[in-house]
Parts: sequence; C-alpha cells; structure tokens
Amino acid sequence: MIKKKITIKNSSGLHARPSAALVKTASKFSSDFFIHMYGYKVNGKSILGVMTLAAEHGSELELEFDGADEKEAMKTIVELIDNKFGFKDE
Amino acid sequence: MSKIDYKSHKVIKGISANSGIAIGKVVCIDNKGRKVHPNIITESEVEVHLKAFRNGRELLVQELSGMLDYLDPSSSAIIETQKQIVLDSEVERRVESIIKDELLSGDYAIYKTFCDFIERLKESGSELFRQRIVDLENLRDRFIDIICKDEQGVTIEKGTILVTKELSPTELVALHSEGLIGLVMERSGVTSHAALIAQSLEIPCIVSAKNATAKALNTTGVLDGKEGLLILDPEEELLDTYKAKLQKLKNTQKRLLKNISEPSHTKSGTEFFLSANVEFESELTQLKKYNASNIGLLRTEGLIFSNRIAFQEQIKFYESVLSSTDGWVTFRLFDVGGDKLSDKIPEEANPFLGWRGIRMLLDEKHLLETQLKALLICAGKNKGRVKILVPMISVEEEILQLKQVISELQNYLVHSGHAIDEDIALGAMIEVPSAALNAENLAKHLDFMSIGTNDLTQYTMAVDRGNEKICSLYQQYHPSLWKLIKITSEAASKTNTEITVCGELAGNVLGACGLFGLGIKNLSMISNAIPKVKEELISHSDSEFIELAESFLEASNTTQIKEIFEDWRIY
Repeated sequence: MIKKKITIKNSSGLHARPSAALVKTASKFSSDFFIHMYGYKVNGKSILGVMTLAAEHGSELELEFDGADEKEAMKTIVELIDNKFGFKDE
Repeated sequence: MSKIDYKSHKVIKGISANSGIAIGKVVCIDNKGRKVHPNIITESEVEVHLKAFRNGRELLVQELSGMLDYLDPSSSAIIETQKQIVLDSEVERRVESIIKDELLSGDYAIYKTFCDFIERLKESGSELFRQRIVDLENLRDRFIDIICKDEQGVTIEKGTILVTKELSPTELVALHSEGLIGLVMERSGVTSHAALIAQSLEIPCIVSAKNATAKALNTTGVLDGKEGLLILDPEEELLDTYKAKLQKLKNTQKRLLKNISEPSHTKSGTEFFLSANVEFESELTQLKKYNASNIGLLRTEGLIFSNRIAFQEQIKFYESVLSSTDGWVTFRLFDVGGDKLSDKIPEEANPFLGWRGIRMLLDEKHLLETQLKALLICAGKNKGRVKILVPMISVEEEILQLKQVISELQNYLVHSGHAIDEDIALGAMIEVPSAALNAENLAKHLDFMSIGTNDLTQYTMAVDRGNEKICSLYQQYHPSLWKLIKITSEAASKTNTEITVCGELAGNVLGACGLFGLGIKNLSMISNAIPKVKEELISHSDSEFIELAESFLEASNTTQIKEIFEDWRIY
C-alpha cells in the first residue's frame, strides 16, 4: 500500500466534471483507491464518494493505493490532479 | 426597450432556464411527489428486487444516453457525469446491501442511498455543490419512477404551456411532439434534465417556480422565458406587446434556419466557406445540424490531458473524427506548453513566451513523430481529407525542420507498405506577430495559413487575457490586429496560398464581415456561431465588406471600430 498527500489546484475544486475525470481514470487500474480528507475516507472509484468530499481549491487530500499497479495508478492520478484535470480553469 | 409592466397581473415567478416567448393555454398538472416507504421484503423476494434495481439502472442509463442526441457538448458532459453516478460502484454496493441485508424494497434502497449522499453534500455547506444536489434529487426520483414503471402519460393539446412540479426528459420530448410550447416547473434547477432538453428543443422554460401548480389557472398565459415569468390571463395591451415580440423572434429564427440550407455566397455571388472548430468527440454530432461538412480546426491537446497519446489511441480518435463527416479535417498538432508533458518539466516564468507548440514538438521528437505518423496513416486512408496545422510558428526554420520530419516519415511509411497521401496539405498557425509580418516568406513553404486571432491578439497587445487587471486590453478588434491580418491576407493572395481564420474573431459578425472584406473567405468557428455569421455574410455585397474593412484599417481605436460596424450595419 502506498500513500501520498496532494493539494487540489483548480479554482473551482473537485466539482462534478473533475470528479468524473478522476473516477474514470482511477477505474482503469486494478488497485484499490481511497481518498482521505479531514477524517473522511471515500472510495476513489465512486463518483458520489468523491463528490461528497466537496473538496475545494486548496483542499489537502491523502491518496491511498493498494494493489498490483499501485505505483502507476498513483503517478497517473497525481498527474491528473496537478494538471487540473485537463480543464482550462473555469 | 421599455420594461414591460405586468404589475396588474397574476404572475408566477421562477428562474429562467431557457429564453423565448410562448403564448397559449396554460395547463396545470399537480403530479404528487412520490412517497417512498421502507417496505419489508422476504428472503425469497430479494432476487426480484435486485433484478428490478439492475434493470431499472440499465433503463435509466439508456434514457440518459438517448438524451445525448439532443444536447450540446457542455450539457452532454453533465449527462455523462450522471451516467457515471447511476453506474457508481458505491451506489450499487449500498443499494444491494440494503435489499439483501436489511431486507427492504428496491425503491427504498435507492431512495435511502441517494439521500445519504445528498445529506453529506448538504453538510459540506459548499455553495459550489448545491446545484449538484438538485441534480442528484432528480436522478434519484427518476430512478425510482423507472423502478416503479411510473410514467404519467399526460396528453396535451397543441399550443399548451405546461405548469408542473417536474417532468422527465422522455415525457418532455413526447409532449413536445404533441405541441408543447412552454414549460414551468416548480422543482428542478437550470441544469436539470428537462431544462437541458427544453434548451435544445428551444422551448421557453422556467424552473424553481415556487408553488406554481397551486397558483396556476387554466387560462391563457404568456410565458416570458428570459425574465422567468408566467403571466396569467394577460390584458389585451400586454398580450399585443408580447405577440409583437414573439413575431420578431419567430422571424429571426426562421431566417437563420432557412439560411443554413441556402448557398453560401454574398449578394455579389462570391462563395465563402464556413467550417467548424472541434475539440471533443461529443461536438461531432452538432456538425450536421449546422450544415458544416468541414472541420477547420480540430484541437488535439485533449489527448494529452486525458492521457491518450499512445499511437493506437491517437489513430482511434482521428479515425472517429474523420468518419463523422464527409469533408476535410484540419488537425492541429499538440498546442501545449512543455510543462503539460511531465511533472519533471518545471513551469516557466513566461509560459506563453516559452517552450510550447512547434518549439516544444521539435525537441520532443518522439511525441511529434508519433502524432505525425498517426495522422499520415489516416491521411493515406482518407486521401485529400487530412490537413496538418502547426501551432506557434514564429520563424521560417521551424517550418523547414518540420517538413523534413514529415518527408522522412512519409518515406518510411511507403517503405513499410502503408498508403500515404503525397499531397497532404501543411499549414501554419499565424498567431505570432513575426509570422504575420513575415507571412509572404512563410507561405512559400506552405499549402495554407490559418490565423489564430486569440493568440495573435494576446501577442500583439502583450496581454494575458486571463489576467483580470489588464484583460480589458485584450481587444480582438483593435486596428493593429486588422493591419496584421491584412498583411497576412495579401501575402496569401500574392503566393496563391489558401488562408483561413480559426480564432474567435471568425465566429462573430463584426469579425467575419471585416475578415471577408480583407479577402478571407474561409472561416472556422464554434459550430453554433455558423447561422448568425452566415446570415450576415449573405446579406451584403463584396464592395460593402471591402469598404467596412477599409474603415477598420483607418480607425485609431477599438471603440471606433465598434461604432463603424454598427453604422455600417444599419446604414
């Protein structure tokens, strides 16, 4: 199992479309993926789970991956978040 | 226009979800909100309820997919997300657990699961997520309706304005075909399913109209979608005002729609060509609607952002674009800053003046060659339909180097037995002032040039349009821009090179008229701008456009240019 802390960078936070992108990407990997935030823990492959975090700009998340492809999964997800999910800032 | 006085009338107020005016018979349906109870089921019924949940889920996903045909790309994105929500693994786990472990009915299991998530979102107190709550409530109720096979089966007369608590997308589509002309809903937000469909069907619609079903009378009514008002039993004077407004709206719409199928030439008979800018696959369905057979700008950066740059994935994307139309497609090579490629590349101090577009591609040979190879193979299979456009050209050498890479790749492909398009068209984005000023020399190496007015404005005015403090200096009509465009257009005609404009300027009427006046007959724009641009271009003669462009070039500031255009339009 590996973990990494990360900050949400896009100005409008983890709203529906970024959540959708995150879950879509995470689902490509076989590893389990959980997100911890302020004591909550949600399944990172569940869009409702991710949305209910209501993570806003600047929120700190801890990502947790567990499985055969955990390293690659972490790298890809971290890149996605750092790239603001590929959306131009809205 | 004077404000309409409706004070003496009984009105229902809501939030505008789609503008437009409807005058007709108001019909009110007070469909009761469903009550869902935690009904206890037996062990032997578990399988039936699980099956009903899964079947219902499939039907709901089908219904959502069916909606996509009606929607524009941004609304489609909302629906795609909702599909993901319906198929959410956490929803499945919880619903099935409530049915199996707590032995409660399927409809309640769904209700409870969604309500739990909605509660959590409410607790978060974030304004941004409040809108999503309405979406989730809609989705929940629709899901339960489907499980309980609960269609309302309402029928209406032609010319009806319907007042209701809420409506499902399928019901709305059915009512529309029966002659529904306006919709008022008590619940639902601006992005609820029915509101999105109303927008695409162009039915005036207001939402969040509190107690509308209690207040509505079955009389004549005027629905003013823009103001979010339903005026009941209007007096004659008010009715006449609205009738006149409605007529005006209808005339405009009729004209725009008729124009779409008209031949594209000016009053002098000169042909012009309007093509579409496309970024996402979901936009491709819009092309037919606007009669756009060619794609003048296909952005490919999305592949990088969504991690789809493997050779096969690129081929798949390009093929799907090419198969969506019979015309040609201008593929722009990846137009991003280097920092988008990898975490290891630090962000630059001035990314817009930095390592991006062709500058980055020529250094990142593997990235460049993979994209070119995919495009050249697609071009071989679709001869004459693939054009390649290079972003951020600032000097001649960049074009020469790129041509070298392309010709090596073409040779390699021929030797490895692939079909190629020997005459594949290569063009450069003219978006840096140095390229515009030196266009005549650049054009000698090119099949076409495409002016990217957004970046050209940024680089000419030295303004980052995203910087709030100075964004008023981002003036795409500024005389200096028209001068650069003129130089580029003249270079094109001197060297007999095709010229296109694919920036925002092409998609607005002032811009399109000025560009045509400068001799640019190929304009590429966001597809829904095509009707209004076409309308303007077919309404004037060549000499009028030339005259307009000449006065743009003589103006000394942007305000003057706007005034010149308004005068020109009215005469």
